[in-house]
Amino acid sequence: MIGPVSLVVVVLSLALAAWALWFVIRDRAVIVRQLWGGAVVEAVLVTQAVAAIVLVANGTGSPDRALFGGYILVQLMILPFAAMWAFEERTRWSSVLLFIAAFTRAFLEYRLLQIWGSL
Amino acid sequence: MTATEPRVTAGRPAGPAGTSTGPGRALVGVYGVFALSASARAGYQIATKFAEAPLAYALSAFSAVVYILATVALAKGGGRWRPVAWSAVLVELVGVLAVGTVSVLDAGEFPAKTVWSAYGQGYGYVPLVLPFLGLAWLWHTRSRSGELASRPVADQ
Repeated sequence: MIGPVSLVVVVLSLALAAWALWFVIRDRAVIVRQLWGGAVVEAVLVTQAVAAIVLVANGTGSPDRALFGGYILVQLMILPFAAMWAFEERTRWSSVLLFIAAFTRAFLEYRLLQIWGSL
Repeated sequence: MTATEPRVTAGRPAGPAGTSTGPGRALVGVYGVFALSASARAGYQIATKFAEAPLAYALSAFSAVVYILATVALAKGGGRWRPVAWSAVLVELVGVLAVGTVSVLDAGEFPAKTVWSAYGQGYGYVPLVLPFLGLAWLWHTRSRSGELASRPVADQ
């Protein structure tokens, strides 16, 4: 895909995960500012998805299109779902949930790059 | 905030404790991730190459349904969804053990094509741990329901 964008995705996702983990340790629930952080990551993800789809459509990269398409769409759902589900819970467990979601999303970048063929 | 375990349970309505709050919130989140990834995987397999390995791909779809049921039932928090949650998590446990064992014993017959193959190795063995967490959580929330936790699971 686009190397620098993937790097940004991984760094931001892991930063969000670390932030959530810090809140788990401090026994705090997810705060609105973290959701804004998640929204920033999501914005980068949407940009990346659009760019990747355009690249594939133009013949750049040679992923299994169905598989790649599935991943690129499904990975967009994780953070929004997690944010909705986490925010109703006003205990540290919401932070656990955000941590899991952000960490999962960082890992998915690795899978996406694998499927793309650059790993 | 100093909410620790006791605070998490405080303020909850009487009756069976919900499965979707406290640790259950995170558990449902993990189940949701697996519902999503198992569905996507099964959808992809069935749409593109079902004929190659119908049994494995049908099992893939089955695991997706189990994860969806478990996610929804745990998220609903209890009541009439509780038996659904118990069943889904038990089926999940049997599924990961059975498919995991068969795939390890006879890799040729059972290529690594479901979430449960090789006990969920491709997913960091989370699929193997998850049903135990689910059962423990269902048991735990049940024992807080005001009744003494002495009735066997089978009564559920």
